[in-house]
Parts: sequence; structure tokens; C-alpha cells
Amino acid sequence: MKVLFKNTSYFLNEIKTIFKLNLLSNIFSIISLSFIFFMLSLVISGSSITKFMIKSIEDEAEISVYYEEGSSQQEVLNIQEEIRDIDGVKEILSVNEEEAKNKMNKILGKESRIISLFEHNPFSPYIEVKIDLESVDSIINEIEHINGVELVRDNKEILDKLISISSLVNIVGLFIVVAVSIATVVITSHIIQQGIYNNKEEIITLRLLGAPEFFITLPFILEGILMSILSGLLSIGMVRFLTGYLYSHVNGVLPFIVLPPFNKIIFGIGIFSLVSSFALGLLGSLFGLKSTKS
Amino acid sequence: MIKATNVSLKYPDGTIGLKDININIDTGEVIYITGPSGSGKTSFLKLLMGMEYPTSGSLKVLGQAISKENSSNIRNLRRSIGPVFQDFKLLTGRSVLENVVIGMRFLNFSNNEMKSNAYMAINRVGLKHKTLSLVDNLSFGERQRVAIARAVARNPKLIIADEPTGNLDRVNSLNILDLLNSFSDENTTVIITTHATHLINDKIDCKRIRIKEGIMTIEEKCYESSI
Repeated sequence: MKVLFKNTSYFLNEIKTIFKLNLLSNIFSIISLSFIFFMLSLVISGSSITKFMIKSIEDEAEISVYYEEGSSQQEVLNIQEEIRDIDGVKEILSVNEEEAKNKMNKILGKESRIISLFEHNPFSPYIEVKIDLESVDSIINEIEHINGVELVRDNKEILDKLISISSLVNIVGLFIVVAVSIATVVITSHIIQQGIYNNKEEIITLRLLGAPEFFITLPFILEGILMSILSGLLSIGMVRFLTGYLYSHVNGVLPFIVLPPFNKIIFGIGIFSLVSSFALGLLGSLFGLKSTKS
Repeated sequence: MIKATNVSLKYPDGTIGLKDININIDTGEVIYITGPSGSGKTSFLKLLMGMEYPTSGSLKVLGQAISKENSSNIRNLRRSIGPVFQDFKLLTGRSVLENVVIGMRFLNFSNNEMKSNAYMAINRVGLKHKTLSLVDNLSFGERQRVAIARAVARNPKLIIADEPTGNLDRVNSLNILDLLNSFSDENTTVIITTHATHLINDKIDCKRIRIKEGIMTIEEKCYESSI
């Protein structure tokens, strides 16, 4: 450990020297690695976003209950009472025509001008029922059997689609994570092997002078880790740019889609990229060293 | 310091490097190993450095057995040796100072000790004015001196120089041999291989080992006039 601290500046200089020996090849390796990490980051952010959306929908799980036109206030109150008594119902809220219209205006944002084209308010009053998502099927079944209920609309279909998309993203993501890990380890190990080959004479000299193996190999390991981290940082920059672009477009065109906070996503991806680039860089370096042990 | 008993070295291709060597070298001695090219001089040095292992017999250097069984301790042994290689083995792209310091970085020297030892060694080999020059820009003789400075700066118990006069002219060769001789003291043994026997200083107290076709003979005086 004493040798390690005593020679910190030496190790840093060695990394610089080793890096310079293969400057162009190393720069291209960093660029390649950063694109690989970029793909990985995209998959991870995609997975995080879909998970967030599912969670949001689950948290906001609600169904809309439409009653027969011309129902009296008492009949509506009776329906509400019956719904309130069903297991898994958390909260109910009566929404009149005007409130229904306002809600849609809010969802459509800029596109809400389409509603103003109607001469009369096209929306019907309904009962908004917040429920426990796990009991959705039984709740819907019971509500459908209440006298005076005409239609029950739920977002289960959207949720199911999101869950299947999320599963697909996770499966594809898993493959990409494995592929990216292998590619990173292979590229890093090649960088290390190249570095060792170029410094063959120096390594022999150090061994003949009695240098311990960790003293000889540490600069190569650090080089691999630093290059990998540098690639990770570059990929964070790329992901930040692309995600920012997508967020601004999604928020403009599809304002009703609930996305996680941009900074939270970037922070998470940043931490993930740094940790994974460090780990894969270390693994690649060790692998490279192991394969050129002789 | 060095004790060889019936040591033989045979290379995997069947070439005989050394035959049945018996030798005892004490601390503080200066030993010249002479002989024609291919006689086994470098093979002997390789054995001392643990770069080869005896195929038979027993060899101990600084108390460490040189054998495959003891290979894990060879690095430790090398830390007590100051080698001057025939091809110098300097680190290109680095300064004279960095080349000298590198031999001490993994030893028990503080940063200040490393620097002061390096400056002293560089001064002693007459390269003070080139301390920060890149070794790539030095002459052959200057590189030789850097290699010597690197070897001696780490206060080794054993200095091994393989053909240090190799491609040098007479004046430079004499200077280098004198310089190497000057590093021997009661704690440091110096072993030098050379084929230039006529250059060996007759004023120093040294022994000579002649090697011919792998067979060693020891003489109590090393310079030509005594032979």
C-alpha cells in the first residue's frame, strides 16, 4: 500500500505514456465503447421510463362509470353508494358534463381547440372510481351488475399493453446488457493486451529489476478503467442530449403521457453508467492481463 | 554471497550453457568473468539473476536458492541486485532521472531518499548535466552510464554488469570499468563479464573467472599481466 501511495504520480504518468503509445487506436476504442454504453443507457432509461409509467398508472388506477341518461340525482346517489360498498374501492367522485369537458381540455392541451368545434358539450357525466388495481376485475364485474349503470371504462387495457412493452424492453434489455458487457470486456481487454505488447520491453526490465507484479500491471488496469469511465461519461452526454430531445417532443405532442422527471432519469443513468463502466473496465483489464500473463 | 556446487545448465534445445561449476564468491569482491562469445558468461549471469535455473547442482545467491521450487522468491532476490544489462534496458521516452528512480520505486525508499540516491548516482556517473534529458537523446556511452546509475542508486548487495564495455571505445571502456570497480565495498560485490581482458585495471584487487565451453576456472588475480 505504501508503494501505491508513494508512486501515485508515477502511475498517472505511466497511464499517460501507455495511452499516448496507441493514441489513435485508444481514441477510437473510447468512441466505440461510448456508443456501446450509449445503447446500454438507452435500454436502461427505456426500462425505467416504462416502469415509471406503469407505476403511475397503477397508482392512479381508476375507472369511469357511466350511468343511464336521464337518471335522477337519487338514482345516481344510489349507484355511488353501491359502488362505495364494493371491496377495493378507495374513493369515488362525481364528474358532471362541464368538469368532464375541462378534464379533456387539460389532457389535450394545445389540441383542445378541437372540442370547441362542437356546438354542445359532447361529454357525459360519470362517476370516477379510484380502486385497488389488484381487484380491478371483480370491481368492474360488480359495478356492471348495478342497476342503472350503462358503461364501465377502465385503463386496464392500456396498462396491460404497457406491462407487455415493459416485459419486452426488459428481455431485450437483458440481452443488450449481456452483449454490451461482453463487448466492453473484449474491447478493454484488447486495449490492455495492445498496451502490454507495446510495453513488452519495459515490463521485462521491471521484472528483472524485481518489481512486484501489481506494480507492473497497475497502470494497465488503471488505463482500462479510465478509458471505460471516459466512455461512460461520453455516453451520459449522448443520452442526456437524446433524452432531452425526446422529452421536449413527447411533452409537446403527447402531453398526457406521464414521464419521470428528466433530471432524475439522467442522474440515475449517470450513476449506472459510471458504476457499470468502472466494473466492466476493471473486468476487461483483468481479463486482458490474464490472457497475456506470459 | 554466491555459492555454486556442481551447477550445470542445459538449455531445452540441448545446448550446454555451463558444466559442473563450483564457485564461492564473498561479499565485497570484484569478479571479472571472461571468455569468448558463447562461452557461458551470460548464462552464468542469467543464473545469478534467476532468469534461468540450474539443471543440476545447487546455487545460492545472497542466501536464496536459485531453483524452480524457489521461483516465488526470485523477485525478492532481484531487488537486492543492481543489474547493468548489455542492451541497457532503459525506459525510452523517460528522462535520465526517471530511469534511475524507477529501480527504487518498489523498494523501501521514501520519495526523498529515491531522489537523493538518484541525484548522487547520476552525479557519480558524470551525467549531472543530463539529469532531465530523455535517454533517447543520449549517446551509447551515456546510456551505459545511466544503466550503471540505475543499478547502483538502489544500494544493491550485488552489482552484475553484462559486457559493459560492449561497443565502447578504449577510453570509455576504461572509464566504465573503473566506475564499476569503484562501487565495490565491504557490502557490495561487483561481477562484470567482459571479453576485453586487456582493459582490466591492474591496480584493483579482483578475481577472474575464465569460462570456456561452459567450464569455469578461477584465478586469484584478474588482470592480464598476472596471467
